[in-house]
Amino acid sequence: MAELSSADFVVIGSGIIGSLTARKLVQAGASVIILEAGPRVTRGELVARFRNSPRRGDWLSPYPSAPWAPHPVYQPSDNGYLVQAGPYPYAAEYIRQVGGTSWHWAAHAWRNVPNDFKIRSLYGVGVDWPLTYDDLEPFYQEAEEIMGVSGAPNTGSPRSKPFPMEPVAEPYAMRRIRERLAPAYEVVTNTTARNSRSYDGRPACCGNNSCQPICPIDAQYHGGLAADSAEAAGAKLVPNANVYKLEHDEKGTIAAALYYDPQRNSHRVTGKTFIVAANGIESPRLLLLSASDKFPKGLANSSDMVGRNLMDHPSTSLTFDAEEELWLGRGPQSPSSIGTMRDGPFRSEHAPYRLDFTNISRVDGATKSLIAQGVYGIELEKRLRHSAAHELNVKNVLEVLPDPEHRITLSSEKDSMGIPKPQAHYSIDEYTRKGHERSKQDFKRIAELMGGSNLRLSKEGDFANNQHICGTISMGNDPKGSVCDQWGRAHDHENLFLASTGVMPTCATVNSTENGLALALRTAQHILAEQAGARAPASTEPRK
Amino acid sequence: MILQEAKLNAEKDVVQSIEPLDPARRRLLAGVWAAYGVSLVPWALAQPALDANEPAFLAISSLLTGRLSLDVAQVSRLYTALVADDPSFPASIRALLALISERSIDPLQLQSVLDTEHSPLAVLPRRIVTAWYLGIVGEGERARCVAYETALNAVIVEDVLKPPTYCYGAYGSWAKKPN
Repeated sequence: MAELSSADFVVIGSGIIGSLTARKLVQAGASVIILEAGPRVTRGELVARFRNSPRRGDWLSPYPSAPWAPHPVYQPSDNGYLVQAGPYPYAAEYIRQVGGTSWHWAAHAWRNVPNDFKIRSLYGVGVDWPLTYDDLEPFYQEAEEIMGVSGAPNTGSPRSKPFPMEPVAEPYAMRRIRERLAPAYEVVTNTTARNSRSYDGRPACCGNNSCQPICPIDAQYHGGLAADSAEAAGAKLVPNANVYKLEHDEKGTIAAALYYDPQRNSHRVTGKTFIVAANGIESPRLLLLSASDKFPKGLANSSDMVGRNLMDHPSTSLTFDAEEELWLGRGPQSPSSIGTMRDGPFRSEHAPYRLDFTNISRVDGATKSLIAQGVYGIELEKRLRHSAAHELNVKNVLEVLPDPEHRITLSSEKDSMGIPKPQAHYSIDEYTRKGHERSKQDFKRIAELMGGSNLRLSKEGDFANNQHICGTISMGNDPKGSVCDQWGRAHDHENLFLASTGVMPTCATVNSTENGLALALRTAQHILAEQAGARAPASTEPRK
Repeated sequence: MILQEAKLNAEKDVVQSIEPLDPARRRLLAGVWAAYGVSLVPWALAQPALDANEPAFLAISSLLTGRLSLDVAQVSRLYTALVADDPSFPASIRALLALISERSIDPLQLQSVLDTEHSPLAVLPRRIVTAWYLGIVGEGERARCVAYETALNAVIVEDVLKPPTYCYGAYGSWAKKPN
């Protein structure tokens, strides 16, 4: 063991959730070490990598997998890191580097709607959360104020305080969609961690239209900023520290985190409390990797629920040519949605969904498509301009129900560090497929209202993944059916907490980051309150 | 029509002694007609070609991209990258140019003609147009980006759009109707 270090809290993972959890604890006076498997990378490097990438449509291309901390890469070929057990592939994308995967998010910072927390009670499907919307509301607000969230109040999620910022200015194309779809559909501005004015030292959006894979000006919040803020507050962040095992003592209390540096030297970090915040795949993987004689199924796994109930948001979509020139690509990438199918009694029958309009420039995609068709010469330029001006795309964002058979396990294959790879077992169930079928009515109606032609539905049977990894370390009241309690504390280990979108018991219809972050901030609040409570008797003694 | 290579080579010294203009401002008037038999020599002489086959590349590029005027720095850059990716590229473009010129094939029909005839040249048009329009040369692991904001698909829409990562304008400027 090369180095011995110790802190009150050891946080595994420096993504937006791990870093902001660490920040809150360190701001309360605790000592915190953050262990991050991947390297530090700067925004400037990422912008340069994107501009120089031969695969601009592959948002992982600016984020190569580090040999000492691999993550899944699929282009130009699958690196085989996430092993697929089927029957349906779960091609998760995530980034192991300081700041984590939200370096390349669309900055959707949604709250659930209140009914998302009780779909078992209301609709007889899925599970209820061990907490309510009202329990989480103050932490949504806290998350929104840290990230700088802009939005409008018409999205079905009640608020006790206003948004930190006004909604981001609506792109012309989205205005026309909103106008032409009314009154059949109400098109709302997305709630996003994107600046509509200067906020916290960062500028307003200037429409770079590369939110994914990288905002060149930090007009949107991301995990890199979260990690910076945790370090500025006093947390010690160790990059290139690939944690491969958590050790426990004879009572089952977590005692240490073991990590490999890039040369595969092992290091040991001890702490009083451990927080696993390594996303919905690497977190259960680490718990499973930490199996011991005392815990042969892995840590926090007496329920056998670690890795199970894997959920994400599958999407199908319709692309068509609108009647009028709209020119997607002006302003931010993902500005508007329709939320009317996010909730309703139909949830007992089929998946709810959000309908999402992209504003990503169509230029590269249309170019590739025309070249593939062999369109050359003067006609190429003419058709390219037409597609860039007229092409629209609307997709559904479908809820997936928790299913114990959808899961992350350890593969028999080893990664480049000799650690078992994660393996995905996944499928698309009838509930989700029925939601897809229902959404086709909306696709058709939307195309009609936009005067659409050349309608192209995504290939039947293909579901695009949205990289919102949920459920694999779910919270719940029943220690037999869940991994952690409503505070993120592992049922089996008093000093082990889980902070990740993986703790979400259901995935609802919105991007998972803000939900995961709000839950983590609530976890941190609980830990601090509990520790203050434990110290309380001393403070009640008469002062001398 | 085959390029008059000998003549070009003979006059190379003259060509290269011409003082280059600001590369950003130099644009070549290639002319679609070049592919249909008009001599390439006059305009080829106006530029310092790195390789005697570059004018053939320019002619075929003009035809396939539908652009009469192409940036000369980009011609060299793309040509060099395409040759590096495939050493037989110069011979292939000469053959393709000859074929198009002999049979006066419309660019819009070119791919289907080559595909129908199972021509070994069928891979060429996509390579060339991908280089010009997307700035990408090579495939799979060998693919690399040789142009981005100067790729034709960015240039063609530059009156309305900026290439992703480039600032569109002041906050909210995207709310206006594009014109």
